[in-house]
Amino acid sequence: MGPLTFNGIISTEWNYVIALLIGLAFGYILEASGFSSSRKLIGVFYGYDFVVVRVFITAVSVSMVSLLYLDYLGLLDFSQLYVLPTYVNAQVVGSVIMGIGFLMGGFCPGTSLTALAIGKIDGIIFTLGIWLGIFGFSEIYPFIEDFYVSGYMGNVTIMDQFGVDPYIFAFGFAVFAVVAFTAASFIRKRVKEVQY
Amino acid sequence: MQKRYIFLAALFLVIASGLLFLPGMKQKTQIPAEHFLNDIHSNNRYLSTDEIAERIIDGDPMLFIVDVRTEKEFDNYRIPGAINIPFKDLLLDDWAGYLDQDIQDVIFYSNDDILSEEAWALCKQMGYSNLYVMDGGLNYWFETIMLPPKPGELSSSADFDLFAFRTGASIFFGSGSTTIAVKPQAPKAKKTLTVKKKTKKAAEEGC
Repeated sequence: MGPLTFNGIISTEWNYVIALLIGLAFGYILEASGFSSSRKLIGVFYGYDFVVVRVFITAVSVSMVSLLYLDYLGLLDFSQLYVLPTYVNAQVVGSVIMGIGFLMGGFCPGTSLTALAIGKIDGIIFTLGIWLGIFGFSEIYPFIEDFYVSGYMGNVTIMDQFGVDPYIFAFGFAVFAVVAFTAASFIRKRVKEVQY
Repeated sequence: MQKRYIFLAALFLVIASGLLFLPGMKQKTQIPAEHFLNDIHSNNRYLSTDEIAERIIDGDPMLFIVDVRTEKEFDNYRIPGAINIPFKDLLLDDWAGYLDQDIQDVIFYSNDDILSEEAWALCKQMGYSNLYVMDGGLNYWFETIMLPPKPGELSSSADFDLFAFRTGASIFFGSGSTTIAVKPQAPKAKKTLTVKKKTKKAAEEGC
Protein backbone atom coordinates (compact mmCIF):
# COMPACT_ATOMS: atom_id res chain seq x y z
CA MET A 1 0.00 0.00 0.00
CA GLY A 2 3.05 2.16 -0.75
CA PRO A 3 1.86 5.73 -1.39
CA LEU A 4 -0.96 5.53 1.14
CA THR A 5 1.47 4.52 3.88
CA PHE A 6 4.13 7.10 3.13
CA ASN A 7 1.60 9.92 3.00
CA GLY A 8 0.23 8.93 6.39
CA ILE A 9 -3.21 7.96 5.14
CA ILE A 10 -2.68 4.44 6.47
CA SER A 11 -0.63 4.05 9.66
CA THR A 12 2.28 1.60 9.78
CA GLU A 13 0.39 -0.73 12.12
CA TRP A 14 -2.58 -0.98 9.79
CA ASN A 15 -0.19 -1.47 6.91
CA TYR A 16 0.89 -4.79 8.46
CA VAL A 17 -2.71 -5.84 9.03
CA ILE A 18 -3.58 -5.05 5.41
CA ALA A 19 -0.45 -6.88 4.23
CA LEU A 20 -1.54 -9.92 6.23
CA LEU A 21 -5.05 -9.81 4.74
CA ILE A 22 -3.72 -9.48 1.19
CA GLY A 23 -1.28 -12.32 1.87
CA LEU A 24 -4.07 -14.56 3.16
CA ALA A 25 -6.22 -13.78 0.13
CA PHE A 26 -3.29 -14.46 -2.20
CA GLY A 27 -2.54 -17.80 -0.54
CA TYR A 28 -6.21 -18.80 -0.53
CA ILE A 29 -6.67 -18.01 -4.23
CA LEU A 30 -3.44 -19.82 -5.14
CA GLU A 31 -4.64 -22.89 -3.29
CA ALA A 32 -8.20 -22.66 -4.59
CA SER A 33 -6.99 -22.49 -8.20
CA GLY A 34 -4.95 -25.64 -7.75
CA PHE A 35 -1.52 -24.05 -7.58
CA SER A 36 -0.55 -26.23 -4.65
CA SER A 37 -0.33 -29.22 -7.00
CA SER A 38 3.15 -29.64 -8.43
CA ARG A 39 1.70 -31.68 -11.30
CA LYS A 40 -0.40 -28.72 -12.38
CA LEU A 41 2.51 -26.29 -12.07
CA ILE A 42 4.90 -28.50 -13.96
CA GLY A 43 2.40 -29.05 -16.78
CA VAL A 44 3.76 -26.05 -18.64
CA PHE A 45 7.07 -27.84 -19.22
CA TYR A 46 5.34 -30.93 -20.62
CA GLY A 47 2.65 -29.05 -22.49
CA TYR A 48 -0.48 -30.41 -20.82
CA ASP A 49 -1.31 -27.43 -18.60
CA PHE A 50 -0.44 -23.79 -19.26
CA VAL A 51 -2.26 -22.25 -16.36
CA VAL A 52 0.92 -20.91 -14.75
CA VAL A 53 2.00 -19.05 -17.87
CA ARG A 54 -1.53 -17.80 -18.43
CA VAL A 55 -1.82 -16.47 -14.88
CA PHE A 56 1.52 -14.71 -14.90
CA ILE A 57 1.24 -13.16 -18.35
CA THR A 58 -2.34 -12.06 -17.64
CA ALA A 59 -1.25 -10.49 -14.35
CA VAL A 60 1.64 -8.63 -15.98
CA SER A 61 -0.32 -7.48 -18.99
CA VAL A 62 -3.48 -6.39 -17.15
CA SER A 63 -1.55 -4.51 -14.48
CA MET A 64 0.68 -2.83 -17.08
CA VAL A 65 -2.29 -1.58 -19.10
CA SER A 66 -4.20 -0.48 -15.99
CA LEU A 67 -1.19 1.31 -14.48
CA LEU A 68 -0.72 3.25 -17.70
CA TYR A 69 -4.39 4.25 -17.73
CA LEU A 70 -4.25 5.28 -14.06
CA ASP A 71 -1.10 7.27 -14.76
CA TYR A 72 -2.74 8.97 -17.72
CA LEU A 73 -5.78 9.90 -15.66
CA GLY A 74 -3.51 11.34 -12.97
CA LEU A 75 -4.64 8.87 -10.29
CA LEU A 76 -1.20 7.34 -9.93
CA ASP A 77 2.28 8.66 -10.65
CA PHE A 78 4.06 6.10 -12.81
CA SER A 79 7.46 7.62 -12.02
CA GLN A 80 6.90 7.09 -8.28
CA LEU A 81 6.62 3.31 -8.61
CA TYR A 82 9.47 1.31 -7.17
CA VAL A 83 11.45 -0.48 -9.86
CA LEU A 84 13.71 -3.31 -8.77
CA PRO A 85 17.37 -2.72 -9.64
CA THR A 86 18.73 -4.76 -12.53
CA TYR A 87 21.91 -6.85 -12.22
CA VAL A 88 21.90 -8.45 -15.65
CA ASN A 89 24.52 -11.20 -15.21
CA ALA A 90 23.42 -12.35 -11.80
CA GLN A 91 19.76 -12.27 -12.78
CA VAL A 92 20.27 -14.38 -15.91
CA VAL A 93 22.13 -17.05 -13.93
CA GLY A 94 19.65 -16.76 -11.07
CA SER A 95 16.65 -17.28 -13.31
CA VAL A 96 18.24 -20.34 -14.92
CA ILE A 97 18.81 -21.81 -11.45
CA MET A 98 15.26 -20.88 -10.50
CA GLY A 99 13.91 -22.59 -13.65
CA ILE A 100 15.86 -25.79 -12.99
CA GLY A 101 14.66 -25.78 -9.39
CA PHE A 102 11.08 -25.22 -10.53
CA LEU A 103 11.28 -28.12 -12.97
CA MET A 104 12.95 -30.48 -10.50
CA GLY A 105 10.92 -29.60 -7.43
CA GLY A 106 7.59 -28.83 -9.05
CA PHE A 107 7.00 -25.62 -7.12
CA CYS A 108 7.97 -22.00 -7.13
CA PRO A 109 8.61 -20.47 -3.70
CA GLY A 110 5.10 -19.07 -3.17
CA THR A 111 3.23 -22.18 -4.26
CA SER A 112 5.50 -24.41 -2.16
CA LEU A 113 4.20 -22.56 0.88
CA THR A 114 0.57 -23.15 -0.13
CA ALA A 115 1.42 -26.83 -0.56
CA LEU A 116 3.05 -26.75 2.87
CA ALA A 117 -0.06 -25.14 4.31
CA ILE A 118 -2.29 -28.03 3.20
CA GLY A 119 0.26 -30.55 4.47
CA LYS A 120 1.69 -31.91 1.23
CA ILE A 121 4.89 -33.83 1.90
CA ASP A 122 6.63 -32.66 -1.29
CA GLY A 123 5.76 -29.07 -0.29
CA ILE A 124 7.35 -29.58 3.13
CA ILE A 125 10.53 -31.03 1.60
CA PHE A 126 10.65 -28.21 -0.96
CA THR A 127 10.33 -25.55 1.75
CA LEU A 128 13.13 -27.17 3.75
CA GLY A 129 15.18 -27.07 0.54
CA ILE A 130 14.48 -23.34 0.14
CA TRP A 131 15.77 -22.69 3.66
CA LEU A 132 18.82 -24.81 2.97
CA GLY A 133 19.39 -22.86 -0.23
CA ILE A 134 19.04 -19.51 1.52
CA PHE A 135 21.50 -20.65 4.18
CA GLY A 136 23.97 -21.93 1.57
CA PHE A 137 23.70 -18.72 -0.46
CA SER A 138 24.34 -16.58 2.62
CA GLU A 139 27.40 -18.65 3.48
CA ILE A 140 29.00 -18.44 0.03
CA TYR A 141 27.87 -14.85 -0.63
CA PRO A 142 31.30 -13.30 0.20
CA PHE A 143 32.88 -15.45 -2.55
CA ILE A 144 30.32 -14.60 -5.24
CA GLU A 145 29.70 -10.98 -4.26
CA ASP A 146 31.64 -9.62 -7.24
CA PHE A 147 29.53 -11.62 -9.63
CA TYR A 148 26.33 -10.85 -7.72
CA VAL A 149 26.67 -7.11 -8.25
CA SER A 150 28.04 -7.29 -11.79
CA GLY A 151 26.06 -5.98 -14.72
CA TYR A 152 24.35 -3.36 -12.58
CA MET A 153 22.09 -1.15 -14.68
CA GLY A 154 20.15 0.77 -12.05
CA ASN A 155 16.40 0.80 -11.58
CA VAL A 156 15.54 0.56 -15.25
CA THR A 157 12.47 -0.66 -17.07
CA ILE A 158 12.43 -2.13 -20.57
CA MET A 159 10.80 1.07 -21.80
CA ASP A 160 13.62 3.24 -20.40
CA GLN A 161 16.38 0.93 -21.53
CA PHE A 162 15.30 0.56 -25.15
CA GLY A 163 13.51 3.88 -25.44
CA VAL A 164 10.21 2.26 -26.39
CA ASP A 165 7.03 4.26 -25.94
CA PRO A 166 5.29 2.67 -22.92
CA TYR A 167 1.86 2.72 -24.61
CA ILE A 168 3.15 0.92 -27.69
CA PHE A 169 5.02 -1.56 -25.52
CA ALA A 170 1.96 -2.29 -23.38
CA PHE A 171 -0.20 -2.83 -26.47
CA GLY A 172 2.47 -5.07 -27.99
CA PHE A 173 2.63 -7.10 -24.82
CA ALA A 174 -1.16 -7.49 -24.79
CA VAL A 175 -1.05 -8.81 -28.36
CA PHE A 176 1.79 -11.13 -27.38
CA ALA A 177 -0.26 -12.41 -24.44
CA VAL A 178 -3.29 -13.24 -26.57
CA VAL A 179 -1.09 -14.92 -29.21
CA ALA A 180 0.70 -16.91 -26.50
CA PHE A 181 -2.60 -18.09 -25.01
CA THR A 182 -3.87 -19.19 -28.41
CA ALA A 183 -0.62 -21.04 -29.14
CA ALA A 184 -0.74 -22.65 -25.69
CA SER A 185 -4.27 -23.93 -26.24
CA PHE A 186 -3.20 -25.46 -29.59
CA ILE A 187 -0.23 -27.19 -27.99
CA ARG A 188 -2.42 -28.42 -25.18
CA LYS A 189 -4.91 -29.96 -27.62
CA ARG A 190 -2.14 -31.92 -29.35
CA VAL A 191 -0.54 -33.24 -26.18
CA LYS A 192 -2.02 -36.29 -24.53
CA GLU A 193 -4.27 -35.32 -21.64
CA VAL A 194 -2.89 -36.06 -18.19
CA GLN A 195 -5.14 -36.85 -15.27
CA TYR A 196 -4.05 -35.40 -11.95
CA MET B 1 -16.39 -21.70 -22.07
CA GLN B 2 -14.19 -21.18 -25.08
CA LYS B 3 -16.41 -18.32 -26.28
CA ARG B 4 -16.01 -16.51 -22.99
CA TYR B 5 -12.23 -16.64 -23.29
CA ILE B 6 -12.34 -15.30 -26.82
CA PHE B 7 -14.64 -12.49 -25.69
CA LEU B 8 -12.38 -11.59 -22.75
CA ALA B 9 -9.25 -11.67 -24.93
CA ALA B 10 -10.89 -9.44 -27.54
CA LEU B 11 -12.10 -7.02 -24.85
CA PHE B 12 -8.62 -6.84 -23.36
CA LEU B 13 -7.07 -6.16 -26.77
CA VAL B 14 -9.57 -3.35 -27.39
CA ILE B 15 -8.81 -1.76 -24.01
CA ALA B 16 -5.05 -2.12 -24.56
CA SER B 17 -5.25 -0.64 -28.05
CA GLY B 18 -6.99 2.37 -26.49
CA LEU B 19 -3.55 3.28 -25.09
CA LEU B 20 -2.36 3.91 -28.63
CA PHE B 21 -4.99 6.56 -29.23
CA LEU B 22 -4.72 8.52 -26.00
CA PRO B 23 -4.31 12.18 -26.86
CA GLY B 24 -0.98 13.52 -25.65
CA MET B 25 -1.02 15.01 -22.18
CA LYS B 26 2.33 16.03 -20.78
CA GLN B 27 1.99 18.53 -18.03
CA LYS B 28 2.02 16.30 -14.99
CA THR B 29 5.56 17.39 -14.08
CA GLN B 30 4.33 20.89 -13.36
CA ILE B 31 3.43 21.79 -9.81
CA PRO B 32 -0.11 22.99 -9.02
CA ALA B 33 -0.64 26.73 -9.47
CA GLU B 34 -1.57 27.32 -5.79
CA HIS B 35 1.68 25.75 -4.59
CA PHE B 36 3.63 27.81 -7.06
CA LEU B 37 1.93 30.99 -5.83
CA ASN B 38 2.85 30.12 -2.24
CA ASP B 39 6.45 29.49 -3.24
CA ILE B 40 6.64 32.82 -5.03
CA HIS B 41 5.25 34.62 -1.99
CA SER B 42 7.60 33.02 0.49
CA ASN B 43 11.07 34.51 0.80
CA ASN B 44 12.72 31.21 1.64
CA ARG B 45 14.39 31.05 -1.73
CA TYR B 46 16.67 34.02 -1.09
CA LEU B 47 20.15 33.41 0.23
CA SER B 48 22.15 36.48 1.20
CA THR B 49 25.54 37.13 -0.36
CA ASP B 50 27.12 36.86 3.11
CA GLU B 51 25.61 33.44 3.67
CA ILE B 52 26.80 32.19 0.29
CA ALA B 53 30.29 33.66 0.77
CA GLU B 54 30.59 31.98 4.15
CA ARG B 55 29.52 28.62 2.73
CA ILE B 56 32.00 28.90 -0.14
CA ILE B 57 34.82 29.74 2.29
CA ASP B 58 33.83 26.81 4.50
CA GLY B 59 33.98 24.54 1.43
CA ASP B 60 30.35 23.43 1.84
CA PRO B 61 29.90 20.41 -0.48
CA MET B 62 26.12 20.94 -0.60
CA LEU B 63 26.58 24.13 -2.57
CA PHE B 64 25.84 24.07 -6.29
CA ILE B 65 26.12 27.59 -7.68
CA VAL B 66 24.69 28.21 -11.13
CA ASP B 67 25.55 31.25 -13.22
CA VAL B 68 22.63 31.87 -15.60
CA ARG B 69 24.34 34.70 -17.51
CA THR B 70 25.89 34.28 -20.93
CA GLU B 71 29.14 32.41 -21.44
CA LYS B 72 30.98 35.66 -22.21
CA GLU B 73 29.91 37.30 -18.97
CA PHE B 74 30.78 34.13 -17.11
CA ASP B 75 34.29 34.13 -18.55
CA ASN B 76 34.65 37.74 -17.54
CA TYR B 77 33.83 37.22 -13.88
CA ARG B 78 32.34 34.37 -11.89
CA ILE B 79 31.87 33.40 -8.30
CA PRO B 80 34.46 30.71 -7.55
CA GLY B 81 33.01 27.21 -7.92
CA ALA B 82 30.03 28.33 -9.98
CA ILE B 83 29.12 26.57 -13.20
CA ASN B 84 27.68 28.32 -16.21
CA ILE B 85 24.23 27.32 -17.47
CA PRO B 86 23.20 30.12 -19.83
CA PHE B 87 19.55 31.02 -19.28
CA LYS B 88 18.48 30.01 -22.77
CA ASP B 89 19.98 26.52 -22.28
CA LEU B 90 18.41 26.03 -18.86
CA LEU B 91 15.93 23.36 -19.90
CA LEU B 92 18.27 21.34 -22.12
CA ASP B 93 18.42 17.69 -21.14
CA ASP B 94 22.17 18.03 -20.53
CA TRP B 95 21.51 20.07 -17.41
CA ALA B 96 18.51 18.19 -16.07
CA GLY B 97 20.78 15.82 -14.16
CA TYR B 98 22.46 18.72 -12.37
CA LEU B 99 19.35 20.74 -11.60
CA ASP B 100 16.86 17.95 -10.92
CA GLN B 101 18.30 16.42 -7.76
CA ASP B 102 17.52 16.62 -4.08
CA ILE B 103 20.99 16.48 -2.55
CA GLN B 104 22.73 19.76 -3.24
CA ASP B 105 21.31 23.27 -2.91
CA VAL B 106 21.07 24.84 -6.35
CA ILE B 107 21.73 28.58 -6.13
CA PHE B 108 21.05 30.77 -9.15
CA TYR B 109 22.69 34.12 -9.70
CA SER B 110 22.87 36.67 -12.48
CA ASN B 111 23.90 40.32 -12.64
CA ASP B 112 20.77 41.46 -10.83
CA ASP B 113 18.31 38.97 -9.47
CA ILE B 114 15.73 39.14 -12.27
CA LEU B 115 17.21 36.53 -14.59
CA SER B 116 18.03 34.25 -11.68
CA GLU B 117 14.46 34.62 -10.39
CA GLU B 118 13.18 33.58 -13.78
CA ALA B 119 15.51 30.58 -13.79
CA TRP B 120 14.24 29.71 -10.32
CA ALA B 121 10.61 29.96 -11.47
CA LEU B 122 11.24 27.81 -14.55
CA CYS B 123 12.97 25.08 -12.57
CA LYS B 124 10.29 25.25 -9.89
CA GLN B 125 7.69 24.69 -12.60
CA MET B 126 9.63 21.63 -13.72
CA GLY B 127 9.16 20.24 -10.22
CA TYR B 128 12.83 20.48 -9.18
CA SER B 129 13.66 20.92 -5.52
CA ASN B 130 16.27 22.73 -3.37
CA LEU B 131 16.27 25.85 -5.53
CA TYR B 132 17.58 29.17 -4.27
CA VAL B 133 18.32 32.64 -5.59
CA MET B 134 21.26 34.79 -4.57
CA ASP B 135 19.64 37.92 -3.18
CA GLY B 136 20.61 40.97 -5.23
CA GLY B 137 22.71 39.05 -7.73
CA LEU B 138 26.28 39.89 -8.67
CA ASN B 139 25.71 43.65 -8.26
CA TYR B 140 24.95 43.17 -4.61
CA TRP B 141 27.77 40.62 -4.35
CA PHE B 142 30.21 43.34 -5.38
CA GLU B 143 28.59 45.91 -3.08
CA THR B 144 28.75 43.69 -0.03
CA ILE B 145 31.47 41.08 -0.42
CA MET B 146 33.99 42.44 -2.90
CA LEU B 147 33.82 46.14 -1.91
CA PRO B 148 32.23 46.21 1.53
CA PRO B 149 31.19 49.68 2.79
CA LYS B 150 32.90 50.68 6.00
CA PRO B 151 30.47 51.09 8.92
CA GLY B 152 30.23 54.53 10.50
CA GLU B 153 31.74 55.52 13.83
CA LEU B 154 28.50 54.94 15.74
CA SER B 155 27.60 51.58 14.16
CA SER B 156 26.91 48.57 16.35
CA SER B 157 29.52 45.91 16.99
CA ALA B 158 27.52 43.51 14.85
CA ASP B 159 28.04 45.85 11.91
CA PHE B 160 31.78 45.85 12.57
CA ASP B 161 31.83 42.07 12.82
CA LEU B 162 29.99 41.84 9.51
CA PHE B 163 32.43 44.29 7.97
CA ALA B 164 35.34 42.25 9.32
CA PHE B 165 33.91 39.12 7.78
CA ARG B 166 33.24 40.84 4.47
CA THR B 167 36.72 42.29 4.18
CA GLY B 168 38.15 38.88 4.99
CA ALA B 169 35.91 37.34 2.36
CA SER B 170 36.88 39.96 -0.19
CA ILE B 171 40.50 38.91 0.24
CA PHE B 172 39.47 35.30 -0.13
CA PHE B 173 37.60 36.01 -3.36
CA GLY B 174 39.91 38.79 -4.49
CA SER B 175 41.50 37.87 -7.76
CA GLY B 176 41.95 39.33 -11.22
CA SER B 177 40.36 42.74 -11.70
CA THR B 178 38.79 42.91 -8.31
CA THR B 179 41.97 42.76 -6.22
CA ILE B 180 42.95 46.29 -7.11
CA ALA B 181 40.00 47.78 -5.37
CA VAL B 182 40.46 45.65 -2.31
CA LYS B 183 44.22 46.00 -1.84
CA PRO B 184 44.35 49.16 0.28
CA GLN B 185 42.25 47.54 2.96
CA ALA B 186 44.20 44.31 3.00
CA PRO B 187 46.39 44.72 6.11
CA LYS B 188 43.52 45.68 8.35
CA ALA B 189 41.42 42.88 6.99
CA LYS B 190 44.01 40.23 7.76
CA LYS B 191 43.86 40.94 11.47
CA THR B 192 40.11 40.83 11.60
CA LEU B 193 39.97 37.62 9.63
CA THR B 194 42.04 35.80 12.26
CA VAL B 195 39.68 37.00 14.96
CA LYS B 196 36.78 35.58 13.04
CA LYS B 197 38.52 32.24 12.67
CA LYS B 198 39.26 31.98 16.37
CA THR B 199 35.64 32.30 17.39
CA LYS B 200 34.73 29.72 14.81
CA LYS B 201 37.25 27.19 16.06
CA ALA B 202 35.95 27.54 19.59
CA ALA B 203 32.47 26.77 18.39
CA GLU B 204 33.64 23.70 16.55
CA GLU B 205 35.35 22.30 19.63
CA GLY B 206 32.18 22.85 21.60
CA CYS B 207 30.33 20.53 19.30
